[in-house]
Amino acid sequence: MKRIMRRNTLILLFALAFIGGIGFFSFELIVNAEAWVDQPYNAHVSGSGGLEQAGVIYDRSGYILAETVDGDRVYNDNSSVRRGLLHTVGDNSLNISTAVQSKYRSQLSGYSLIWGLNMPQSMRISHDITLTVDASTCAAAYDALAAYGKKGACVVYNYKTGEVLCSVSTPGYDPANPPEINESNEDQYDGVYLDNVLSSSYAPGSIFKIVTSAAAMENMSDLYTRTWNCTGQKEIGGHMVTCTETHGEIDYKTAMSHSCNIVFAEIAVELGRDVMNETAGKMGINKSYEVDDVKTAKGHFDVTDANDNQLAWSGIGQYDDAVNPMQMAVLCGAIGNGGKAVNPTYIKDGSGDLLKLIGFNKPKEYDLINSNTASQLDDVMRYTVRDYYSYQRSGLFEGLSVCAKTGTAEVGEDKKPNAWMVGYSQDEDAPLAFACVVEDSGYGFEYACPVADVAMKYAAACLRNGG
Amino acid sequence: MPDLSFIFDAGVVALRVLLPVYAIVIVYQCYAAMRRRRRTEKPLVTLCNMKTGSVIPILFWENSIGRSKGSDVVVSDLAVSRNHCVLLRRKEGWFITDVGSTGGTFVNGVPIEGRAQVLINDVITIGSTDFEFRRGEEFQAPLKSSWFFQKVSNKPAIKAWKLMLMVTLFHFFMAVEAMYWNDGTNPQSPLILFGALAAVEWGFFCVSYFALRRVNFELEALALFLTGIGVMILVRQVERSAYIQLIAAAVGMVMFCVIIKLIEDPDKISRFRFPMMIVAVGLLLTSILFGKITKGAANWIYIGSFSFQPSELVKIIYIFIGAGTLDKLQTKKSLIEFIIFSMICVGLLALMGDFGTALIFFVTFLLIAFMRSGDIKTIILAVAAAAFGVTFVLRFKPYVADRFKAWRHVWEYAQAEGYQQTHVLTFIASGGLFGVGVGNGFLKQVAASESDLVFGLVAEEMGIIVAITIALSVALLVIYSRAITTRSRSTFYSISAGCAAGLLVVQLSLNIFGATDILPLTGVTFPFISCGGSSIMSVWGLIAFIKAADERTYSIKR
Repeated sequence: MKRIMRRNTLILLFALAFIGGIGFFSFELIVNAEAWVDQPYNAHVSGSGGLEQAGVIYDRSGYILAETVDGDRVYNDNSSVRRGLLHTVGDNSLNISTAVQSKYRSQLSGYSLIWGLNMPQSMRISHDITLTVDASTCAAAYDALAAYGKKGACVVYNYKTGEVLCSVSTPGYDPANPPEINESNEDQYDGVYLDNVLSSSYAPGSIFKIVTSAAAMENMSDLYTRTWNCTGQKEIGGHMVTCTETHGEIDYKTAMSHSCNIVFAEIAVELGRDVMNETAGKMGINKSYEVDDVKTAKGHFDVTDANDNQLAWSGIGQYDDAVNPMQMAVLCGAIGNGGKAVNPTYIKDGSGDLLKLIGFNKPKEYDLINSNTASQLDDVMRYTVRDYYSYQRSGLFEGLSVCAKTGTAEVGEDKKPNAWMVGYSQDEDAPLAFACVVEDSGYGFEYACPVADVAMKYAAACLRNGG
Repeated sequence: MPDLSFIFDAGVVALRVLLPVYAIVIVYQCYAAMRRRRRTEKPLVTLCNMKTGSVIPILFWENSIGRSKGSDVVVSDLAVSRNHCVLLRRKEGWFITDVGSTGGTFVNGVPIEGRAQVLINDVITIGSTDFEFRRGEEFQAPLKSSWFFQKVSNKPAIKAWKLMLMVTLFHFFMAVEAMYWNDGTNPQSPLILFGALAAVEWGFFCVSYFALRRVNFELEALALFLTGIGVMILVRQVERSAYIQLIAAAVGMVMFCVIIKLIEDPDKISRFRFPMMIVAVGLLLTSILFGKITKGAANWIYIGSFSFQPSELVKIIYIFIGAGTLDKLQTKKSLIEFIIFSMICVGLLALMGDFGTALIFFVTFLLIAFMRSGDIKTIILAVAAAAFGVTFVLRFKPYVADRFKAWRHVWEYAQAEGYQQTHVLTFIASGGLFGVGVGNGFLKQVAASESDLVFGLVAEEMGIIVAITIALSVALLVIYSRAITTRSRSTFYSISAGCAAGLLVVQLSLNIFGATDILPLTGVTFPFISCGGSSIMSVWGLIAFIKAADERTYSIKR
């Protein structure tokens, strides 16, 4: 009998293993429940793309962006608002996976781990979500951007609080009247489900001179005293590096404001691969940011295997450099914020995120740039706008002290360059950072700048009116 | 005036919150009652070493005596064999059997042949040691009992009829929920099913209480509780299956009573061994010859519209043949018989080609082999197990590979191999802690939701708390069967109960973890809950072994 007892103990271990397995499953359930619930076949959240029971989505001032009326999902009555916020709010198809309606479908429908789904109708509590975006800013920025008929993105965010005020991506469509995409129009809608603000990366061109500048500020003691000579082109590493103009004898600050390629190409080569790699790495170029559970597209900078000519081009944002619009906005925001970056968010209130409720998931802050470098960049980027851009366009960023840099990135093939403008305002009452990109267009100042101008003015007005 | 529909809805939600708590209370009451009405831990008799005067308490109904450390009575005397003899208690008194010792066993100086009765004050001689057989009362030192039976309060256990009332009420609440969530057709059908269920439950209770005069009903109450959940959950899915399930459960209850009666006398069991083997082989042969081949496996027999899986019943016979009384276990003949029988079963199962069944058989074989083996026999059995394993792997390799493909990657195969598991996970999460209401789930639209995926079905409709509670209530039978091991009337009962409980846990694990993608999906049933006539019958058959192992079953009458 004793022997049997001892052997029975082994069977007891089976039971303990089973209890352990149940524990493991419970853990998996708690961690993944929301992802498991958000499935297209889940009939508990069916109808209108699973939004039949979804709550209201508001903008920061309480305008209704999307709501459910009698089982139908209804979007804002202004067409520009609808199109401008398509990639942020989403539509019934749930094809835009980074949009709030896709990401938070279960929370919008009132899902909770405790109650599950499908409470009786009269007791159902659907959750409303308030976004940080401003409807009119997005509408205006979208109209300005969409006028080019090109792919592009524009984002404006408050670099003190992390709140995104404007986030638009083209091409777009009207969620109230979604197009049927077929062979005849697929070119027009190529990449339409992608939010370019978060999920695309582009060759940066001259906006990358911000990173090269930072490397120079930290590693060249005579940066402000020496001069370079620009003859419009220069042979580096056996091949030519070209400039847009012949700047002649030029100092660093003028080179930045006039965006002289030769100076920055020479700086990059002089600093060398390790310094450039290290600075770009420190400033988060190769990093992905987590914005409300969405990972942004990573940028790219790696000159480990580049030859001297490629190293030279990499310093002016060509070679195989790439950056993401949201990433650039965060970088510019960090410059304006004395080196501290605040992680962006689209959610003002009510995502039902338990971790956020208990304050675990509050906006993250981290040091992205050394504060001394940040103040030097602040100075030179302010100089660029005040003493150069402002003379070329009257009323540019009127009412704001903006620091910025434009970029015109050659992408080769038969495409026109990517137009870029990134920057931020110094104003205490409107601490806004922005990034704007227009693909296949032309000069940054000509194409990206007008969109950024509109977005910044509207966003600043919104903040100043107490929104 | 307040909105009436709101009050009604609030009532239904309150019921959904109440049910999990209620389920926990029922399971707790069943287990609490299992600990009660136990005899106190006292030696039955004692053996007094006549040379040294030391007194050895005899605690069990069957005791092995020998030099081996694993013996119940260890005699450190070089003239004693490792396994010398077995001292047994039977209704007629105490007996001693020699199990092939070199020196032989003597009672009052006379060498024994076969089984010899021992009376109080008789002298038993083993090797060069003499023992005087004495009464148990003379032993005064305190003895430690299993923790399961310790600190039992003096409060009497819940009365059997009260426990039954609680169980029935739980099923009634399920019927109410199913009535609420209906699509307008047959609003009364859950109530009718509940009526039939209650009739079966109370009918069984009355038979047990009045005809068989059993005092204890907690194991049966637990089984009825689980069976009833399995039946009621079907009411909004396939109502007809619910009735078939109920009828099969009733047949299972009859089997339960018959098996307990059949194995009442542990010494007479060996008479049934051979006929049982014939029946088992016959059943397996029938399914090979007449079975309908589905998904490459000839496991089902169709009689009219009623399908039947004979291999489920063979499981019970297998345990029956594998277990044995302590004196029989220590002889080689029964072992060889068992191995030959196993080989035949393996061969037939390989012909049949059902992965889930073969797996369960393999586990049963390992359990039995492990429980009964000892010393040299372990080696023989290990070889047999290896042969079993090789056959198994060769036969089922293609199926196994297929099932492992999507394992832990179900979301990548959500429309193919992972279809069932992803749906289970989605709907379990949709159910939350308290479920969406009986009959209101969507997992029921997925194939095999009432059998292979039933854990998901219960979790979706009644909440994860109920699902886990019923799973644990089955798993905890292992603790119960282990606690009663040393108090069983024979090793036959303790081995068969341990195997039955172990088998239930293995089935439970394969079912739950298969459906939730923690293990590969194998198509094994959830004991008591899964829909399937032969499955429910075999589960009732299995718990008969656990019931029989509890000494109260035969010794106490009302």
